Amino acid sequence: MSIRLDTIGKSFGGFTALGDINLEIEPGEFLALLGPSGSGKTTLLRIVAGLEFPDHGRVFYDGEDITDLKVADRGVGFVFQHYALFRHMTVADNVAFGLTIRKRRDRPAKAEIRDRVQKLLDLVQLGQLGNRYPAQLSGGQRQRVALARALAIEPRLLLLDEPFGALDARVRKDLRRWLRELHDRMGLTSIFVTHDQDEALELADRVVVMDHGVIEQVATPQQIYDEPASAFVFDFVGESNQVPVTVDGDRVIAFDRLLDVPPATLAGMGGAARLFFRPHDAEIVGEGANGLAATVTLVRPNSGSMRVEGKLEGSDRLVEIDVAQGAAPGQGERIFVRPTRAKLYAGTAG
Amino acid sequence: MRNGATSESRLARAVIMAIGLGFFGLFLLMPLLVVFAQALAGGIGAYLDAIVEPDALAAIRLTLLVAAISVPANIVFGIAAAWAITKFDFPGKSILITFIDLPFSVSPVVSGLIYVLLFGAQGWLGPWLAEHDIQIIFAVPGMVLATIFVTFPFVARELIPLMAEQGRDDEEAALSLGATGWQTFWHATLPNIRWGLLYGVLLCNARAMGEFGAVSVVSGHIRGETNTMPLHVEILYNEYNFIAAFAVASLLALLALVTLVLKSLLEWRYDYHGKGTGH
Repeated sequence: MSIRLDTIGKSFGGFTALGDINLEIEPGEFLALLGPSGSGKTTLLRIVAGLEFPDHGRVFYDGEDITDLKVADRGVGFVFQHYALFRHMTVADNVAFGLTIRKRRDRPAKAEIRDRVQKLLDLVQLGQLGNRYPAQLSGGQRQRVALARALAIEPRLLLLDEPFGALDARVRKDLRRWLRELHDRMGLTSIFVTHDQDEALELADRVVVMDHGVIEQVATPQQIYDEPASAFVFDFVGESNQVPVTVDGDRVIAFDRLLDVPPATLAGMGGAARLFFRPHDAEIVGEGANGLAATVTLVRPNSGSMRVEGKLEGSDRLVEIDVAQGAAPGQGERIFVRPTRAKLYAGTAG
Repeated sequence: MRNGATSESRLARAVIMAIGLGFFGLFLLMPLLVVFAQALAGGIGAYLDAIVEPDALAAIRLTLLVAAISVPANIVFGIAAAWAITKFDFPGKSILITFIDLPFSVSPVVSGLIYVLLFGAQGWLGPWLAEHDIQIIFAVPGMVLATIFVTFPFVARELIPLMAEQGRDDEEAALSLGATGWQTFWHATLPNIRWGLLYGVLLCNARAMGEFGAVSVVSGHIRGETNTMPLHVEILYNEYNFIAAFAVASLLALLALVTLVLKSLLEWRYDYHGKGTGH
């Protein structure tokens, strides 16, 4: 199912949760809404579901305007962060709920409901646990029950609000992979909300990065990581160093020292700017070259390479770079760091 | 003998226990025993006579009637108020939360007088009511209204913290699965609040049957017609008919004991479920 959001806005009291969101989602896509808390990502998901209504703007499912349709009439699957299972019902009754409450003429026969519930429980690998109560299950199992329950009404759109947020790291990773498989196998369109960049980058076809109620970037995980559209995205996704600089023609000055940056970085820049680069996109150069002067404060192993932390001369800022295991400087040593791949954003440092 | 910062000497412990038990015996147990002793002072026969006497039976019937109307009314109001407060944001919400407690903080006599002022012959609506031949004050409707007023907070107060803690997730889950508003309430909300609701109903019922002050103001004390059990007890007592007074009072005391037992049972159930250990 395709979804189109047209200038969606929403405020709570005086607080603007969402400001004029435009977004298109392709059928079969697995989309992540990524952002810090308060970025409006959950509100946006709830508006797509019909659990919340926008102050202005329209929501389209397959080109049809369903903005005013209530959640009960939209037929979407919604999975809550804290599962929201019905405690007084067995697992099987929970999964069957969306079917058993239907009007008699739309309701499948009892035997058929039982079959479908069993199939769904098998699908989420809980085939034997239909008679248990939610309280007797682990967190990961509960979330799978919640998923089976949402899938029982055969939605074409699956919405997940921080689906792995309440689970421990190990279970989260397994469930993540499994969810992606499920999405592909069932031909669903899925949107999930997360504040975990790893989760978004690993799972999604496209990632929507949000901050303060606006979309900062919509792109594939690779593009988000390699070509962050704004300083916020660079900072929020992946590890990064941030250095305030002044751009003067084709010269970049950082803390009164000339700094060599890759030439492409400079395009159209002038005046105060912020230079961003990833720890693995930098090298240590000799004193004669134009690099950032820093004093090494910490050296530690970091998955295959060495992470070097240094304090920049002339400021309190830290810089972090990754170097090959044999090439790490000693603690207290003076080094010069030059980014090999970087991005400049206009404005002063935040 | 001291074996920790919080352990008291044996003497201090004995004194504290003596004070606690002493007060319990003096102020709770003894009066309760006195009620039953006085009621049975003339023998079982006199006790039963006092209870099956027509005015006493009328008082019992009226008490049950008032409770039978005001308790369901309070269940509806209580759930509606708790629902509105915990599941929606609306202007005036904090005022509503404050005013739900009003009947607890105001003297029951005032609660009764409010209705006299509203519906009495000299009250705001008095002339209109007289015109249409509707009697509220010194009649059953007034007593029901006064009872509803004084018992209003019981159900709501029990449910508000419970529903606030549970949030809206379960309801939203039900709605997203296609449930109607009524199905959502029945399948998602009610099962989550049932023990709290029962607890509130129990306390509400005890108060509805035992209420004296507010009901006294609006009752008119017409024997066999507008006397509830507490009012009937007072009349009998004022007539020095001690055996009958205590006999009817013993029924109220029994009600209290039954309420306490049920309350303990509910608390046990409630805790058990509250811990989420299943069924």
